[in-house]
Amino acid sequence: MTLPTPTARREAPNPLMERAAALRGSGGMAAVRGVAPVLVALAVGLLLHFAIAPQLPEFYPRVILDIGINVILAVSLTMVNGFTGQFSMGHAAFMAVGAYTAATLVYYGSARLMGTADFASARAHAGVLSTMLQGREAAFFTLGDGIFIVALLAGGIAAAVCGYLVGLPSLRLRGDYLAIVTLGFGEIVRVIIQSQTTDTLYDVEVIKATPWPKLMRYMGGPVGFTGLPSYTSLFWVWSLTVVTLVVAFRLKVSTFGRAFLSIREDEIAAEAMGVRTTTYKVRAFVIAAFFAGIAGGLYAHTIGIQLNAGELAFMKSFDIIIMVVLGGMGSISGAAIAAGILTVLPEALRRPPPVDLPWFLLVMAAAWVAALLLIRRPKWWLIAVTALGAAYAWWQQPTLASPLMFWTVAGSGVLILLFAGRRVPGLIGLAIAVTCYIGVRSAAERAGIKLSDYRMVLYALALILMMILRPQGFFGVRELWTAWRVQPLHPRRSRAEGGESGTAGRVPTA
Amino acid sequence: MTRIPSQPGPALLDVRGISISFGGLRAVQDFNLTLPGGRLHGLIGPNGAGKTTVFNLLTGVYAPDTGTIDLGGAPLDGLKPSARAAAGLARTFQNIRLFPDLSVLDNVRIACHLRTTGSMAGAMLRSASNLGQERAILERARELLAMFDLLDRQHEDSRGLPYGDQRRLEIARALATGPKALLLDEPAAGMNPQEKVELRGLIRSVMERFHVAILLIEHDMGVVMDICERITVLDYGRTIAEGTPAEVQRDPRVIAAYLGDPADPATGE
Ligand SMILES: Nc1ncnc2c1ncn2[C@@H]1O[C@H](COP(=O)(O)OP(=O)(O)O)[C@@H](O)[C@H]1O
Ligand SMILES: [Mg+2]
Repeated sequence: MTLPTPTARREAPNPLMERAAALRGSGGMAAVRGVAPVLVALAVGLLLHFAIAPQLPEFYPRVILDIGINVILAVSLTMVNGFTGQFSMGHAAFMAVGAYTAATLVYYGSARLMGTADFASARAHAGVLSTMLQGREAAFFTLGDGIFIVALLAGGIAAAVCGYLVGLPSLRLRGDYLAIVTLGFGEIVRVIIQSQTTDTLYDVEVIKATPWPKLMRYMGGPVGFTGLPSYTSLFWVWSLTVVTLVVAFRLKVSTFGRAFLSIREDEIAAEAMGVRTTTYKVRAFVIAAFFAGIAGGLYAHTIGIQLNAGELAFMKSFDIIIMVVLGGMGSISGAAIAAGILTVLPEALRRPPPVDLPWFLLVMAAAWVAALLLIRRPKWWLIAVTALGAAYAWWQQPTLASPLMFWTVAGSGVLILLFAGRRVPGLIGLAIAVTCYIGVRSAAERAGIKLSDYRMVLYALALILMMILRPQGFFGVRELWTAWRVQPLHPRRSRAEGGESGTAGRVPTA
Repeated sequence: MTRIPSQPGPALLDVRGISISFGGLRAVQDFNLTLPGGRLHGLIGPNGAGKTTVFNLLTGVYAPDTGTIDLGGAPLDGLKPSARAAAGLARTFQNIRLFPDLSVLDNVRIACHLRTTGSMAGAMLRSASNLGQERAILERARELLAMFDLLDRQHEDSRGLPYGDQRRLEIARALATGPKALLLDEPAAGMNPQEKVELRGLIRSVMERFHVAILLIEHDMGVVMDICERITVLDYGRTIAEGTPAEVQRDPRVIAAYLGDPADPATGE
């Protein structure tokens, strides 16, 4: 077989790039554009770490931290499942690779470089930017911080390399193969980690005497990696979250992002238009794995976390997939919002429902009305039913916080999503779904049913409903700031029209 | 009207003896084609004759069992469709294959991608050259849309376009790849008579402005006979005739092939 010389193609004049050279931006502004996101990231991190977190009740900073990690995970998975339309089911495995790589480097690296018995104590070795521990005297930047950052990066790179090795063979094949291969990869990662020795070395002298390849076997195996220093702080998490968001968004609106999306839209057409689909699928996969690895490193060093591969198995991947699907396949802001909601919900489930907040009901009602009016043909009967139900509830018990009122509002929300789910603008749909859920739950709680016991069932049910009623997710491929637009009604093209066979029969003859 | 002489110039697209079978079905047998630069060649034949399969072979969707394909003197054999697009071969699809959930503008911008040379890191940092590239792509895409009267719908999702607009958007998108040869698979299908007339003018102006050679599959004989310089007729995967429209129309085998297929508009119109 004769391969064409690539130079033969390169030599041809390229008018597009000639034009691009003439339209170049200025170098100074380019520097600003390059540095600005880093500054914003640092600002957000510093603000949360120093200004906001100390003001909040004890429990909240930790939830904000978890949100950040989940946003990184969901947004990175969006690049694969949302942008390129490939279905990866092993995102948590890349998280695990990053987590264990970072953990090993931080733990044993600290032991070797510090050489003191308290090498694994974040209280002793973290700088002011690290850890969630409050009221601590510390240097601005320490050796511990340095090790942590390098380890995070190494975790990301290790995950990216795994992503390349997994992605290259499987992404050549059709979509379903990737799902199976990533699923298998996740199990392999888990089994490899859990089949290591159960010990973690803690004696500095022993660690120093043990060579690195051997040290890597002491990751706690099935017991979990114990005694990791908890360097992770709101500063690191949210700085990196902002970086992830900026990278994802800039990619999406660039020519590369459009290449990703074209694969999802129609792989054959994308190839025909010159998009090297395999290359771009692998690239998206590697970038996603990198950020998942970073998130894993952050997760591993979070206070109160006992790093265990069992926690980063399929169920975790599934959680991330739900965030992406819910947010909208391809929507970065959608995935981020969904990550936030799904992180807060389980926590909120543990506390008493906000039944005493009439304003909350008013927000719901506003969303209802907006949804009902914004769709092309307002569903007057739905509005009437809701109004009648609310009036009846009020007549029975003149308060907004009665169980009957909740059932009315929640029931109306379900009806809206059932009958107009496809057409309600993303944000309003999301508001309805969330408030609907809280409404149902509040009412159930009052009736003595603990819905939190059925969390997974509800999750699954919500997902099934979502797939049926709004397969594009809440935002589809749009972002938050364009999602207010009403989804246009698409006349569904008939099979005959789309068929590959001749179209002669359909052509109107004059 | 000027027809090309029987001896064509140096071939841009040179196809020699390609064949493919699907199971026992010989979809295309020993197909030959010499398409000089800047010329318009028609490919006709009854339904299921193998015309679309020829396009799929040329663009690398299928690998031929035998035969070779050269574009501008360089062999395309074994290349992926994307590499063939980079080499200068663009196409449209009989069953429209736009990127449905993306805007009209993005559909065209995606096709500009293969002529870009920037790096992904540049896009993440929004470097000066990346910005220039994005601007150039936008300008180019807008120019093409303006030429195809689609500029005022640039922000609409492409799936919402009327049928005729979708077909024209496919041509605009194919041109955005910067092709030397353009393969059009039934571009007039589903268009109304008015749009068909406009399409003829459009195809002519595309050839003039972009200096592309066109291989055109079309059922509408009015369009084919009017604008094609030469025509190849397929039937059951075989080439049964090749020549100028006048020659082909007189060919007894062509007449027989079409009479054998009464559902075809060649006889219906
Ligand atoms: N991928 C395929 N697998 C099996 N048969 C195919 C395939 N593609 C095309 N064919 C068959 O090849 C023949 C030619 O099809 P096609 O090229 O689409 O015809 P047309 O001339 O109408 O465009 C048809 O009989 C079709 O069923
Ligand atoms: Mg066909």
